[in-house]
Amino acid sequence: MAFEPKQPQKKLKYEELRIYTDEELRNYTEEELKNFKVKHSIPDVEELEKGPWPSFVADAKREALHRKKLADDRVMIPKDVVEDLLGQLQLSFDDGETHWKHGGIVGVFGYGGGVIGRYSDVPEKFPSIAHFHTLRVNQVASKFYKTDFLRALCDLWEYRGSGLFNMHGSTGDIILLGTTTEQLEPIFYEMTHELDQDLGGSGSNLRTPSCCVGKARCEFACIDTQDLCYELTMHYQDELHRPAFPYKFKFKFDGCPNGCVASIARADMSVIGTWRDDIRIDQEAVQAYINGEILPNGGAHRGRDWGKFDIQKEVIDLCPTRCMWMEDGKLKINNRECNRCMHCINVMPRALRPGEDTGASILFGAKAPILEGAQMSVLTIPFMKLEPPYDNLKELIDKVWDWWMEEGKNRERLGELIQRHGLWRFLEVIGVPAMPQMVKMPRANPYIYWKEEDVPGGWDRDINDYRARHKR
Amino acid sequence: MEDIKKAIIEYAESSKKSKFYFKDMEKAVQNKIPGAKSRDIKKAATELVNEGTLIYFSTGSTTMYGLKGRGITEDK
Ligand code: HEM
Ligand code: HEM
Ligand code: SF4
Ligand code: SF4
Repeated sequence: MAFEPKQPQKKLKYEELRIYTDEELRNYTEEELKNFKVKHSIPDVEELEKGPWPSFVADAKREALHRKKLADDRVMIPKDVVEDLLGQLQLSFDDGETHWKHGGIVGVFGYGGGVIGRYSDVPEKFPSIAHFHTLRVNQVASKFYKTDFLRALCDLWEYRGSGLFNMHGSTGDIILLGTTTEQLEPIFYEMTHELDQDLGGSGSNLRTPSCCVGKARCEFACIDTQDLCYELTMHYQDELHRPAFPYKFKFKFDGCPNGCVASIARADMSVIGTWRDDIRIDQEAVQAYINGEILPNGGAHRGRDWGKFDIQKEVIDLCPTRCMWMEDGKLKINNRECNRCMHCINVMPRALRPGEDTGASILFGAKAPILEGAQMSVLTIPFMKLEPPYDNLKELIDKVWDWWMEEGKNRERLGELIQRHGLWRFLEVIGVPAMPQMVKMPRANPYIYWKEEDVPGGWDRDINDYRARHKR
Repeated sequence: MEDIKKAIIEYAESSKKSKFYFKDMEKAVQNKIPGAKSRDIKKAATELVNEGTLIYFSTGSTTMYGLKGRGITEDK
């Protein structure tokens, strides 16, 4: 299936958008870098370069040198921002506390999110980072970029910002790290008008939705995660840009239970692709795996010799619900018991494939540990068909938001509200019956609260009828 | 819409705090105008922001509203 853009795509020509020449982009040698010293003494920060991993300190030093060698009029914010940034980090190590003020009033016209105000609380020491605001840029679904776009964004950010950015932040956005207040509107204008690129969410609003690579590259995808992510991003623009929620709200879309964007751990609403018919089995390919003709796990984990592939040990015995067995040389699955863990499919992708009646499971309430500890989202809708324009999912989202916006306290995540009111209340609000799998452990207290509508005849009874059968 | 905007401004001016959550603003408006819908309160607040009367204050994780020029650390 060829890629069909939803709206006409702007052709970006880097040659027209570019700000720097090749010479300016490669303006220092490795030799110069070796001898380069940032203007502050940063011994503890430099310690971070010594570990086994690539270090942001090494990257930041490159950028510091690169900026230092640009002509003064080739950048719009101070050339030494990166050096001041590293200097303030050293001061934080010395003092054991941060020197960033928390929050501020910054934003771009009409948006309540996407820009996070950061101010140094020691601006006299580090004047270049007195304002050092972050911008969140809404990444494209699945994070496929053209190099023209990336080059143009890099040039823009070098010119109007610190030149430092993250590909990508935990939520998914491209994070542009550090610029002054005056540069916010010009950056926003150039991003939206020239790069055809929007800011993402921050603060008490819908955060930038994100999704796995899905059908673009992955044979396991049970739903079109990119389409879903794009559609909901566009549908909920107002929620994304104009904060009116009690706190943040995240959507994430995984195409299958492998969960490459870890929606189950990180999203207030996790959408995870799944199927409700049977796993498709190619018995010949099963034999080929058994005979060693096809490498298990798509050839991964070959760093050492694990011996001959053993389907009993490596697949059947590891099935969490013990619903697989061999019978007359054929692999059998009791699909009623399969909980779609993906293990067998991951090990033998040529032999096993998800079913064809696909859709998604919807889970709610994951969050980080601020209150009550971290929690995963709770499986709420075991299966929902998901076809454009996804009205069934939107209807569900609207119900959940209405409840949360009404009942949620300031700074209360959906998961915390569900804990405070009880899952039963949440289920009632969205009109979904409870199922035994939602019970974490059997009741530890003997009381059951009935509601009048649950009791045949309600609270009223005919006392004479009762007394006819029960003497006082 | 205009009376909701008026109620918001009254709340923003009289509130003890210079920045406040949407919910608290919503409650204050609903006290003055019973039955005001939260969607309309949000629309009114957005208009006030666009007009430059209200401003957003964000820590990055949470957003609050405030009256422009009233006490919050503003950029010079
Ligand atoms: C010989 C002495 C006592 C006996 C045999 C006794 C027996 C019981 C029994 C069988 C129950 C029901 C438990 C249940 O429903 O699971 C109960 C509940 C209760 N007892 Fe006692 N009790 C005694 C003394 C006391 C005393 C001294 C107090 C208070 C100072 C007390 C306060 C209560 C209360 C408040 C309940 C209700 C608990 C609830 O509803 O969850 N009992 N008692
Ligand atoms: C000295 C003797 C007894 C004492 C002090 C006693 C005390 C109590 C108390 C305080 C309660 C709690 C009532 C409530 O929570 O409303 C209770 C409940 C109960 N008792 Fe007794 N009891 C005694 C004898 C008996 C006997 C002989 C039986 C059975 C033949 C019995 C069966 C029960 C039952 C089934 C309940 C639970 C009732 C319910 O939850 O609705 N008790 N008892
Ligand atoms: S979550 Fe599933 S469908 Fe999406 S990329 Fe990962 S394995 Fe593929
Ligand atoms: S997907 Fe998981 S639960 Fe289902 S049959 Fe395979 S190993 Fe068992």
